[in-house]
Amino acid sequence: MSTTALGPALASKRVLICVGSGGVGKTTVAATLALRAAVEGRSSLVCTIDPAKRLANSLGLKALGNAEAEVPASVLEPMGVSPKASLHAMMLDMKATWDDLITRVAPPEQRERILANRFYQSLSTALAGSQEYIAMEKVWELRRRDDYELIVLDTPPTAHAMDFLDAPNRVLDFLDNEAAKWLLTPALKAGKVGLSLFNLGGSYVTRALAKFTGAEMLQELSNFMLAMSSMNEGFRERARGVRALLEDARTGFVLVTSPSPERLDEAIQFHALMKQNRMDVLALVVNRVHPLPAPSLWDEAATLAPGRRTKVEETLRELRVLAEQDLRGIAQLKDACPGTPIIQVPRFGLDVHDLTALWNTGRYLLGDDVLA
Amino acid sequence: MTPEGAIPTVRRSFFMAGLLDKRLWIVSGKGGVGKSTIAAALALRSARAGRRTLVCEVNTQERISGLLERPPAGPDVKRLEENLWAVDVRPQEAMREYGIMVLRFETLYKTVFENRLVRYFLRFVPSLQELVLLGKIMFHLQEKLPDGRWRYDTVVLDAPATGHAISFLSVPQVLLQTLPPGPMTREALKMRDLLVDPAVTAAVLVALPEEMPVNEAVELHAALKDKVRIRTHAAVLNQSFPERFTDGDLEALAGHPELQRVAQAHHDRAALAVLAGTKLERNLHAPVYAVPRLFVPRFGRDAVEQVMGHLEPLVTGET
Repeated sequence: MSTTALGPALASKRVLICVGSGGVGKTTVAATLALRAAVEGRSSLVCTIDPAKRLANSLGLKALGNAEAEVPASVLEPMGVSPKASLHAMMLDMKATWDDLITRVAPPEQRERILANRFYQSLSTALAGSQEYIAMEKVWELRRRDDYELIVLDTPPTAHAMDFLDAPNRVLDFLDNEAAKWLLTPALKAGKVGLSLFNLGGSYVTRALAKFTGAEMLQELSNFMLAMSSMNEGFRERARGVRALLEDARTGFVLVTSPSPERLDEAIQFHALMKQNRMDVLALVVNRVHPLPAPSLWDEAATLAPGRRTKVEETLRELRVLAEQDLRGIAQLKDACPGTPIIQVPRFGLDVHDLTALWNTGRYLLGDDVLA
Repeated sequence: MTPEGAIPTVRRSFFMAGLLDKRLWIVSGKGGVGKSTIAAALALRSARAGRRTLVCEVNTQERISGLLERPPAGPDVKRLEENLWAVDVRPQEAMREYGIMVLRFETLYKTVFENRLVRYFLRFVPSLQELVLLGKIMFHLQEKLPDGRWRYDTVVLDAPATGHAISFLSVPQVLLQTLPPGPMTREALKMRDLLVDPAVTAAVLVALPEEMPVNEAVELHAALKDKVRIRTHAAVLNQSFPERFTDGDLEALAGHPELQRVAQAHHDRAALAVLAGTKLERNLHAPVYAVPRLFVPRFGRDAVEQVMGHLEPLVTGET
């Protein structure tokens, strides 16, 4: 039985999205949630971005690819657990997923032109938010296919929280922008392909811009805009679907952070933005918390031989500094995010990539174990 | 032996020039490994060596000025203390500076760049944003004082995390391969030449003694070498735990299971640091400098100065 906010979420949500800064353990949390949901009877998929190779190995998979693979139930045997439903895992390849999307929505005669265009390359790889967008778009696609009761998404490391939340809007903005329409309309009316920006009459602005980027660049951009316009409708419909999915009542967000001060600042900021955007933050997971050493340990250490006593006491002192730092950070987080449950996961001895460690993480996420 | 003495610090099998011989110090690594702390410590050390030093952050929540307990620098270069300046390079401001440089006049810039249509386009020009960000940093690297000396002897770049760092630093290369010759490629060529010059540029990769950060440092090293042609000067293994408990200690604690767990956890973390150091050294073919985890209630200037002390051999090249 779960005592945290994540228990009911695992039982009822269709999509869980793990968000947070890089290096806080989002992938671990995402994999753990999918694992627990499968164990408890809901078929689940974890969609990761860049997992440790050992994570794939520990799930009994040679490697994670862009296609979903079933995690063999046998990997859970050592823990005495037999999952009641299937668990799948995949690793999202951003570029391949963008290419799939274009192949799906572009008219056949335009496909190659778009895929080869430099601006498409930029849109699919470099544009801020495009990675976040394609990850969400993939989840939307998977959700529509309805093969899994629960999809858990591990999100790309985001430099700016808004990139993620804003991604569908940016794509819609890209498609709907008035400037683009204004540019394209004369060419579309004239039925011309190869629209030239210089149709604008070689205006001063255009010439100055060409001085900045080079004229060929502008020509290529206008070609791209024209090609894109051929698939606007399909694209737009999907982007609207993605935006709706972010706000869906059966989609929930899990904000993951570590207790270090700079990560906590980012988490607080992220939390505020998500609330503003009416997104359902189910829980704040503080990962790798240092537990405070029990006071009795100090008494016990005092009975050791002098040399060992010094070493042990030094270690306890260090652990106390770390634990107190974490406690202060968590108190600050509580104040800054009232109403959002905070779940603490302790730092485990070694790196968390094997299944036992995932399992232990799950016990804290769902409240079977609680950090004192 | 002091605890610090037990950390795998400098391996003497590598002879390296110190960072002080280079002008552009690029610090990168996985998110959360303490890049900004290392960049702040290196910049402080350079300033202490009497070098006029500029430390650049790239479009981020500024951290370095805070670590050094100074007010935020913002998008314009600001003096933090003697010999030390800081700037947070942001796209909009950098674009404006670049635009004015190309178009020569501010009013011209306004007419062109504040045009809505143009702004819209600029967002989609491949790599333009990275180009102007990197461009601003490279501009400061080449900036001279009226008397002909460099305005900044050292430029420390607190670069984005791994994936973003690779795309950021390979922008000149990518532009040169894909763009027809024009104003952007001229800029790109100048930048590329400085980045790949080992007499000018040195990359310092930061990792923690854990699997993922070490793997990322190895990937970053390979990508920098192959795609950008920047050589890894050294790696910093941040937040290392020095060895403290011997096997004998652990055995002797058998009667105290709780304490044994505490000691074992420490021992494991120290073992991880050794393992990580070896893996980095083997894959990077560069020296690895360990910075011990600091146990301070608040990580501020004092802590940065301590980190700086541990980086001394990296900076001076003296072991």
